[in-house]
Amino acid sequence: MTGMTSLSVKNLKRKPGRTIALVLLTAFLALAVFGGSVVVLSLRNGLQSLEARLGADIILVPSEAQSKVSFQNMFLQGTTGAFYMDASVTEKALEVPGVEKAAPQVFLASLKADCCSIKIQVIGIDPEKDFTVQPWIARSLTGELGEMEVAVGCKVEADIGEIIRIYEQRCKVIARLEPTGTGLDTAVYCNMDTMNKLLAAAEAKGISHKITSDDDSVVSAVYIKVKDGYDIDTVNTALTGKLRKVTAVRTRSMITGVSDSLAGVSRTVSTMIVVIWVLAFIILLLSYVMIIRERSREFAVLRVLGASRKMLGRMALLESAACGLMGGILGVIVAAVGVFAFASLIESSLGLPYLMPAFSTVLLLAIGTILLSIAVSAAASALSAWRLSRVNPGTALREGN
Amino acid sequence: MKKQIIPGCVMLVLALVISIGSFTFLSPCVHEDGSVGACWWAGRALLGLGCLLGILAVLTIVSGRARFGTYLSSIAVCVLGILTPGTLISLCRMSSMHCRAVMQPAMIILFAAGGLTAAIGAWVGSKDKWGKQ
Repeated sequence: MTGMTSLSVKNLKRKPGRTIALVLLTAFLALAVFGGSVVVLSLRNGLQSLEARLGADIILVPSEAQSKVSFQNMFLQGTTGAFYMDASVTEKALEVPGVEKAAPQVFLASLKADCCSIKIQVIGIDPEKDFTVQPWIARSLTGELGEMEVAVGCKVEADIGEIIRIYEQRCKVIARLEPTGTGLDTAVYCNMDTMNKLLAAAEAKGISHKITSDDDSVVSAVYIKVKDGYDIDTVNTALTGKLRKVTAVRTRSMITGVSDSLAGVSRTVSTMIVVIWVLAFIILLLSYVMIIRERSREFAVLRVLGASRKMLGRMALLESAACGLMGGILGVIVAAVGVFAFASLIESSLGLPYLMPAFSTVLLLAIGTILLSIAVSAAASALSAWRLSRVNPGTALREGN
Repeated sequence: MKKQIIPGCVMLVLALVISIGSFTFLSPCVHEDGSVGACWWAGRALLGLGCLLGILAVLTIVSGRARFGTYLSSIAVCVLGILTPGTLISLCRMSSMHCRAVMQPAMIILFAAGGLTAAIGAWVGSKDKWGKQ
C-alpha cells in the first residue's frame, strides 16, 4: 500500500461515523439502480417469453370463457379455469382459408391438490398437432409424454419420477419445464389420453365437463397458426363468422395489453431511479462540501508537511472512491438478496410476466452498478478535492485559531 | 463490554421479528378450509427456533461468562433455522404460494443475519478474551 493510499484508509477508519454515512448513501444509490434494473429487465424478459410461448396468432375459446375467467390472467398469473366447446371446432377451423395449423388444448382445474392448498391447472395437449407447448416441453424431455405421465411447470415443486395425485389419479412427473415467467409455469401438462382419464375421474367426483349428455369429446382452446401471406385480422373475422359460440382472440392484442402495462411499470421504475440518483448526488455533493470545511486544517497541516496539491486531491478522490466501492458492493448485495429471494412475491404483486435475466447479465449489471457508484462518488467529491488542494495553509490554520 | 453486548441486542431484535413474524406477516400458507399442510409445521418449528434464539440473545446480554459459548450455540440455532423451511420440513409444492414466496426467503435471510451477528459476537468476544490473556 502506498503512503497516500494508506493515509486515505486511515482517514476512513478514523471517522467511522462519517465513512458509514457516505457508504450507506452510496449503497442506497446502488440498491436503487441494481434492483430497479433487474426488475425492469425481468419484466422485458417475461414479455419476450410470453410472446415466444403463445406461439399462435389466434386462440379460439368458448364464448363464455371470457366471462368465466379472464383468459389473459390464465397466462399471466396462472389463474385456473376450465371451459369447454365441441372438439369439432379444430377440424372446422382448419377449413377456414388461411389457417395453417390448429392445435387443441383441454383445461382442467384440479381439486385442491394433495401437495398444495390451491388448485393447479392441468393442460392436455395433442402432441401430433401441438406447435405451442411441444417445443417448450422438448427442451426438457427427449421422448414423448406417455399415458399418466405429466410435465410440470417450474413453479410446481415436484421432482422427476415423483407421483402426484390429480383427482385421485396417480400421475408420474417425467419432466420439469424451463421457466417462462408466466402463469404457464404453475400448470401441469399431459397428453390427451391422460387428460381423458382425468376428465373421467373429475366426472366421477361430480365435476362435469360435458357440453351435451351424450358427447364427451371436448376441447378448451384451439391455437391457430395463420399461413404466411394471409392477413391475421381477416382470418380472425372468418373464424368468428364460421364458428358459432366461439370467440377468436388475437394473441397480439393480449401481448399489447401486457406490453402497455409493462411500459408503465418500466417508466415508473426508471423515473424513480433517476430521481433517487439526482437527490442522492446532491446530498453527496453537499456532504463532501461540508467535509471540506471540517478538514481544511487537516489538509493545511499536510501541505505544511510537504504534501503537494496533487497528492491532496488524489487522497480526497481515493477516499470517496473507496466509499463508492464499499457502498456499491453493499447496495448490490442487499438488492440481489431482495430481488432474487422475493422474485415470486414481486411477480405476483406486479401481475405481469416476470423472468429473471441470465446470470451473466446480472453479473455485468452488478459490475456496472459498482463502477457507476465509484464514478458518482468520485465525481461528487471532485469539486471538494479541487477546492481542498487550493487551501492556503496559513489562512486555514489561522481560521482554526 | 459494550462491543460484546451489541451483537446480542441485534440478535434479540431478529429473534423477535422471527418469532412474531412466524405467525403474522411471515406465516405459512393460510388454508381456506382450515386444514394445515406441511408448511404449517415448518412455521411452528420456526417459532420455536425464534424463541430459542431470543433466549440465547438475552443470555449473551446478561451473562458475561458464558457469552462466547452462547454465541456459538446461536450460530447452530441459526443454521437449523436456515435449513428448517424447505430442507428439514417440506413446504407447499407451488413456489408462488406464501410459504415459498415469502416465509422461506424471509426466514433464511433473518436466520442468516442472526448467524452472521452471532459469529461477529463470538469473534469480538474471542478477540477481547485472547487480547486480555
